[in-house]
Amino acid sequence: MGEAVIVVALLLVAVSATAAVAVRDPVRQSLVLAVLGVVLAVLFTVLQAPDVALSQLAVGSALTPLLLLLTVRKVKRRGRRRRENEP
Amino acid sequence: MNGWILAATAVLGAGVGATVWGVATGPLRRRVVAQNLSTALACPALLLLAQGYDRPAYVDLALVLALLGPVGTLVFARLLAGELAGDPPRARALTRSAAGLGAGVVLALCVAVGPSRALLKLLVVGVLLVGGNLLASRALSGGMAGARRG
Repeated sequence: MGEAVIVVALLLVAVSATAAVAVRDPVRQSLVLAVLGVVLAVLFTVLQAPDVALSQLAVGSALTPLLLLLTVRKVKRRGRRRRENEP
Repeated sequence: MNGWILAATAVLGAGVGATVWGVATGPLRRRVVAQNLSTALACPALLLLAQGYDRPAYVDLALVLALLGPVGTLVFARLLAGELAGDPPRARALTRSAAGLGAGVVLALCVAVGPSRALLKLLVVGVLLVGGNLLASRALSGGMAGARRG
């Protein structure tokens, strides 16, 4: 009975990780990745590894989406500039 | 398995499960709201787990999440302001109920802990959680419209 919370956390991680792979648009993928980071932190807490969960929270909830979104924005801007220069 | 862990399991299964589903499907405005709600719901779950495992040090996790969750949502609100300006997300009732859940969990834990230094920490977490959540959802629903032009 005490393992129910571990099972729930594992299921959440499995579903959100599958969704992160299945979603194709990078912007939406970064949103799913942010949720995956939070869910992974919960899983680590449930497995009694709070230090791992702390670093996962610090990296996964704000830093990874920020880097992804900045990259997407830069790639889009560069593509637009190239398209304007071509014709 | 005690009542606190049971409550945390319920919050994780129903609340965070619903936000995982919301962030994986639907239009962009629903996804950003679901991302905001996922941090707002995972934080009370972490608090309940800390009480259930009887490890006061685990409250630090909820503190970090209450601090960084709204920061992540603000990142999305700022960098997706162009896409979100067309149809701004509106989820006032959902955001308020998530904030109410967080406040209720913090109050219940305060009653369980009793007057001590841990109570002060819990109150700080609660204020950060509710305030940050409301601020982030306001930024999502149009507060960043001015920053888009800048």
